[in-house]
Amino acid sequence: MTGARYLQPRMYLHIPTLFLFLFFILPLIALVILSFWQTENYKIVRDWTILNYETLATVPAYITFFFRSLVMAIGVSLFLVVLSWPIAFFIVRYGGRFKLVLSLLLVIPFLSGEVLRLIALQGMLGPAGLVNGALVRLGGVPLRFIMYSDTASFIAFVYLYLPMVVTTIYLSLLNFDFRLASAASACGAGKFRIFIEVIWPLNLSGTLIGFLLSFIPTLSASLVPRFLGGPNGTLYGMSMAQQFGESGTWALGAAMGVVLFLFSAGALAILSLGVNLRRTGFTGMGRQ
Amino acid sequence: MAGRSDFLVKWLLGAILLLAYIFLYMPIAHILFASLSSHPNFPYPPEFNIDSYVRLYTNTVYQSAFANSLIIASCTAVLSTILGFLATVGILRFAGRRALIYAIFFASPLFVSEILLGISSMSLYYLVFGVAGNMLAAIIANSVHCFSFCFLIMASLLYKYDWRMNEAAIVCGASPVRSFFEVMLPLTWSGILSSLICAFVLSLNGLDISFYLLGATPTMPSVAWGALRYGVKPELYALSSIINITVFLAIILLYWRIRSDRKTEA
Repeated sequence: MTGARYLQPRMYLHIPTLFLFLFFILPLIALVILSFWQTENYKIVRDWTILNYETLATVPAYITFFFRSLVMAIGVSLFLVVLSWPIAFFIVRYGGRFKLVLSLLLVIPFLSGEVLRLIALQGMLGPAGLVNGALVRLGGVPLRFIMYSDTASFIAFVYLYLPMVVTTIYLSLLNFDFRLASAASACGAGKFRIFIEVIWPLNLSGTLIGFLLSFIPTLSASLVPRFLGGPNGTLYGMSMAQQFGESGTWALGAAMGVVLFLFSAGALAILSLGVNLRRTGFTGMGRQ
Repeated sequence: MAGRSDFLVKWLLGAILLLAYIFLYMPIAHILFASLSSHPNFPYPPEFNIDSYVRLYTNTVYQSAFANSLIIASCTAVLSTILGFLATVGILRFAGRRALIYAIFFASPLFVSEILLGISSMSLYYLVFGVAGNMLAAIIANSVHCFSFCFLIMASLLYKYDWRMNEAAIVCGASPVRSFFEVMLPLTWSGILSSLICAFVLSLNGLDISFYLLGATPTMPSVAWGALRYGVKPELYALSSIINITVFLAIILLYWRIRSDRKTEA
């Protein structure tokens, strides 16, 4: 009995840790190993080489794809943070007893999956979609910039990741003690100053996590550019997916994966300097 | 004066929220109309017609894809919820000072995109076994992704749970298993249910992970993705509408569950 009791607590933490090690960490290591090999005629040649990374660093197309992805990811994430703040703030401050309903309504579209959501969005934006269909019927000219363009990709990313970012900021604000704002107000601070000096810094961690949760998938997105982006809209993730698909150059694709992972981890590391987890929505851990 | 500006801010924020809802739901409502109409491209005014649903129902490709997706999603939901539950209990009760480190580690798959998870798992299976993957591999890789969601959901719903309840049950002579089933499970059911539903739906609809690990085996998202290349068909609208409605119902169920829990607490 005592033996079982000593064993139990460890198991609770060790089983998930082992699981993540085997199926999350090891695959990433395998990806790194693969990226230092070569693919010839759809077969993997196990010779160590850094040729893949050289290709990525010198071929202009890959460099263009990468910077296009980076700009897109930063733009989308900044826009989402700016858009999500008022939404989350409204739900927390004025939601009252409808808070849960209002926040769940934002989550529902997130759960129906990327492909189906893109199909729905294509029904709106495409050449025969609702927006252009309505414009043509009303005697207007179809909007070219929302058909197969970077703008369309941008709208799609915002559409895909808005629920995620709002929820993160919402959780952060939900755990924020608004009496602090009242205290600042009582001490004579103006509305703007309260926001800049109290509310924003204390919810910065949640905001940064929200930023990352849209930045990372946007950086490595493959479906959106392929489906909604134009002929000049190829992004890094899409190119990576092609290495594993049509081109069959797995090793090069693996190197692209490593690049994406390093950049995501880099963004995480830089931004986490500003994160104090205890101040975010993920508090309460480790407390009974 | 201050009151008026407060009022203005409130309505401005409310308007942004409303716009966000319209932005999120208009495409979903549009394809629901489109799936029910005989003119899928511009279904206004609506003319009801359930042809696309009949075609979806008789299409064998979608049937086998649906079966595969259902297997993957059910197994993933159960596996990731069990692991998430272990992780939550471990962190809330036994981790002590290292709780934060474990929490960050358990949440870390969230910060690796799905496509990278799919590709890296495929690389691992290829290096070790020489095959790109199979159903089991797809379930496990999906579970890694869903595990973080399950863990965060359960941790946020369970951190107020009073662990003395379990100890009380054991002191009263219940075995640990019985105290779990008769005390803890009923009290934490809404967290577990949320986690199950979330993992099920995420893995049912996720393309990237299953796509790289399953090769030629069709799943629903991969069939939908394949069909997209040849232009969107009304069947896809029908499929998408069915899934959206199912998700909607699942969330309503969950909402009732959480609300009735709160009522009993109060």
